[in-house]
Amino acid sequence: MGIKDLSKVINDHAPSAIKQGEMKNYFGRKVAIDASMALYQFLIAVRQDGSQMQNESGEVTSHLMGMFYRTIRMIDNGIKPAYVFDGKPPDMKAGELEKRKEKRDEAEKQLAEAKEKGDAEAVDRFERRLVRVSKDQNEEVKRLLRLMGVPVVEAPCEAEAQCAALAKAGKVYATATEDMDALTFGSSVLLRHMTFSEAKKMPIKEINLARVLADFEMSREEFVDLCILLGCDYCPTIRGIGPKRAYELIKEHKSIENILAKIDTKKYAVPEDWLYARARELFLNPEVADGENVEMVWKEADVEGVVAYLCGEKNFSEERVRSSLAKMKKGRQAGQQGRIDSFFSAAKVVTSEPAAKRKAEDDKKGIKKRGPPIKKSK
Amino acid sequence: MFEAKLTSASIMKKIIDSIKELVTDAPFDCSEQAMCLQAMDSSHVALVSLKMEVGLFDTYRCDRTINLGLSLASMAKALKCANNEDTCEIKYDDNDGDTVTFTFCDTKRDRTQDVTVKMMDIDVEHLGIPDQDYAVVLEMPVTEFKKTCSDLFMFSETINITATKGAVVFTSKGDSGSSVITYTPSKDVDSSEHVTLDVKEPVNVNFSTKYLLQFTKASALSDRVKIALTNDTPIVIEYGLNDNGHLRFYLAPKIDDEENNMD
Repeated sequence: MGIKDLSKVINDHAPSAIKQGEMKNYFGRKVAIDASMALYQFLIAVRQDGSQMQNESGEVTSHLMGMFYRTIRMIDNGIKPAYVFDGKPPDMKAGELEKRKEKRDEAEKQLAEAKEKGDAEAVDRFERRLVRVSKDQNEEVKRLLRLMGVPVVEAPCEAEAQCAALAKAGKVYATATEDMDALTFGSSVLLRHMTFSEAKKMPIKEINLARVLADFEMSREEFVDLCILLGCDYCPTIRGIGPKRAYELIKEHKSIENILAKIDTKKYAVPEDWLYARARELFLNPEVADGENVEMVWKEADVEGVVAYLCGEKNFSEERVRSSLAKMKKGRQAGQQGRIDSFFSAAKVVTSEPAAKRKAEDDKKGIKKRGPPIKKSK
Repeated sequence: MFEAKLTSASIMKKIIDSIKELVTDAPFDCSEQAMCLQAMDSSHVALVSLKMEVGLFDTYRCDRTINLGLSLASMAKALKCANNEDTCEIKYDDNDGDTVTFTFCDTKRDRTQDVTVKMMDIDVEHLGIPDQDYAVVLEMPVTEFKKTCSDLFMFSETINITATKGAVVFTSKGDSGSSVITYTPSKDVDSSEHVTLDVKEPVNVNFSTKYLLQFTKASALSDRVKIALTNDTPIVIEYGLNDNGHLRFYLAPKIDDEENNMD
């Protein structure tokens, strides 16, 4: 899932690219959400007494519950969410999917064992590992979102890549996902924790790609190569090269080709028939619908339609659903207010005294600056 | 070293009082030409842009471009100590470390008072505001604009402004009723109460009444207010500072493009 240790590398080498803040700071912003990631989270996290939410007829409703209330939470904060669903997986991902299936089989075995032993905690743990989003659940959620007036975008291939294309085209401000490869695909801004429950009180974490590249002093291509070295969904990595080494190697040699020419292949086992170049191509030119042409329209919710679906078919509490929809309507009105910083773009960063002075003094160690002498306090 | 003296503290008081509820702390950009301030409100909907030119000051000295980060609440506290007729000197010395000194002097009573305000570390993005020709420029007495905003605020949180060649119309529609105010250019341009209107292109835009009303707190600064509008662009409300600068408010429009797409 995602890029291994990328958030750690960013933390170490580009801390200024990460900002934390409240959800309400994003009011008026359009955000593309990786639906599969969100759904998976809901199935894992939206639970009661450790098991998934179910209605009277035993159908799982965690995904609808999560999608409904957490989407409303965003809209209530003035955000305009659009959900992007995965299309067919790229064939490059077959290896990764195979690995995931193996893990699932393993978990299934362990689950059976745990059940036999009666180890409730282990049962719970393995059950969570077995969670996967079914096709029906995907369709149910799409139906709900359309009733709520929230745009649903069907990606031809990877949702992450489509989100990035929307962000690049300026159709949305950011991609909201937990998956770091949204950055590798070129999302200008990545938002984490957007679909988390309010009760968790998790601040929204914003990662700005331009700042990451500036602080890493890397081009987009070099960054993609770094991500491949760290470990992505599309091909294996060189054993023995961890995050620290990978960062140093890209800084020094600029590309995987150069690195392969330089490193001791006896020491570092390069995978056979390593398809890094195809993975790179997938990140740089993924199969997506042109961001410019994707229509996204936020509509008024079909209140009766939502009530008929959630309460009529899925046994949700009508009172709660209606009050949440009322909240959403209010949020939508607030969401109409434009942001001044979406009209005027940031021209420069201002640093006030005395921090500016401290900074200038640090700079002076290198270059002697003109200007009035600054007296140092001992 | 930065040193600037105003003949009367009242102008500084009025400026800070009119923006302190919008902006909590702000970086004052001091250069040889002017003392400026640009800051967004906490929700990033409005932008305050202040320019106090050298001509506004009695004496002005700025050796190098510096940026003073100040809490407006602390500044307001300091200015509260000053009488309106007092002179007001703002001073920052590189050797002082992290404080700005305000000196208020009552010349009649030979009394001076120094108030120091601790500076804050501010690291903010400065927005580039493009120079642009607005489609509509409207000018009127500040009292008139204030009344319009407070009248309309009673009906709705949203104000609609439309302008055509001959008139500009402010509309506010609420559940209980609505109010429509129309301005046409005054015939008697010599009257101090006159309204001027210049329309290059018609506009139709929506804004938050609450914010517009908030801006009218600056009405004490000037007799006239200038309002500039273009479709899909922030509105500009400008209060002049004795021909030596201005206090401008920019407000992002409300966008209802989604509603239009409803079937």
